[in-house]
Amino acid sequence: MTFGAAVYILGALTTLICGVLLLRGFLASRKRLLLWSSCCFFGLAISNLLVFVDLILLPQIDLYFWRLLTAAVAMLLLVWGLIWEGEA
Amino acid sequence: MSEPRGFEPEVQQFILEQIDSVPHLEALLLLWRSRPKIWSVADMAASLYVPAELAANILRDLGVKGLIEVLDNSPRTYHYLPTEDQDRLLAQVETAYRRELIQLTRMIHTKAPSAVREFARAFKFTKEREKE
Amino acid sequence: MRVNAFLLGVIATSSLVAGLYFMKFWRRTNDYLFLAFGIAFLVESFNRIAFLWQPHPNEGSPWNYLVRLFAFLIILAAILRKNYWARE
Repeated sequence: MTFGAAVYILGALTTLICGVLLLRGFLASRKRLLLWSSCCFFGLAISNLLVFVDLILLPQIDLYFWRLLTAAVAMLLLVWGLIWEGEA
Repeated sequence: MSEPRGFEPEVQQFILEQIDSVPHLEALLLLWRSRPKIWSVADMAASLYVPAELAANILRDLGVKGLIEVLDNSPRTYHYLPTEDQDRLLAQVETAYRRELIQLTRMIHTKAPSAVREFARAFKFTKEREKE
Repeated sequence: MRVNAFLLGVIATSSLVAGLYFMKFWRRTNDYLFLAFGIAFLVESFNRIAFLWQPHPNEGSPWNYLVRLFAFLIILAAILRKNYWARE
């Protein structure tokens, strides 16, 4: 269980870093792809954090739906950005 | 990519690194040729035959890269920012544009879209070491 | 229960699409950062699909942790390499 917790904390950190770097990039270049991607990674960070909360901090509550929902919304934001902004 | 015949490596590097599209190049050259004339978005849209929103984006992109100067009026206006190095470079770019337009435009069109390049650039947070 | 299964499908499909977009960007730019993101999202997609065969997907399993860890490490490695090992 602790190995799993470490993986999800690492995951939350990685996605958080990506989100921050992309947000900075958006503020510098104003390309919307970076804004959508940044939102996606922040959403994934929340999802990863929720897994940690679900399995370790609050094992008596089942947060599975919320973990899935945040990840799904995050991924849809990324796909939206890629489709509209990923071409010249 | 075929070997460029008519333009120097500096020009090629400049185009690859700084020019996002052919209208971007044309806008920059317009500003350079007419220096120190001050342009508005409407002026640029009329000269390039593009919608105002595209002209605004182009001028904003050029300003963000430091190639032109943005004046904080409303409506915002732009003009070319002269430096010795950039003047020399743009003179070469202008020559290349006149002589090798097809090669230049082909080079620009085969680049990845600028949003994609900016995505990759966002992940670089250390400074490039100076190449001698 | 059906909602969770649906959300899982959304995540799997959008991760697949995102992964493919990043692979395309890698082909266009030759930037290994996009290869890393592409692999990470494709792996994540297959990971979600594999949930179909798991009796308790909300509890995670060592296999899931390892796969996730691999995806996160690949992204982190690409970011670090871009900043500290830049050769081109």
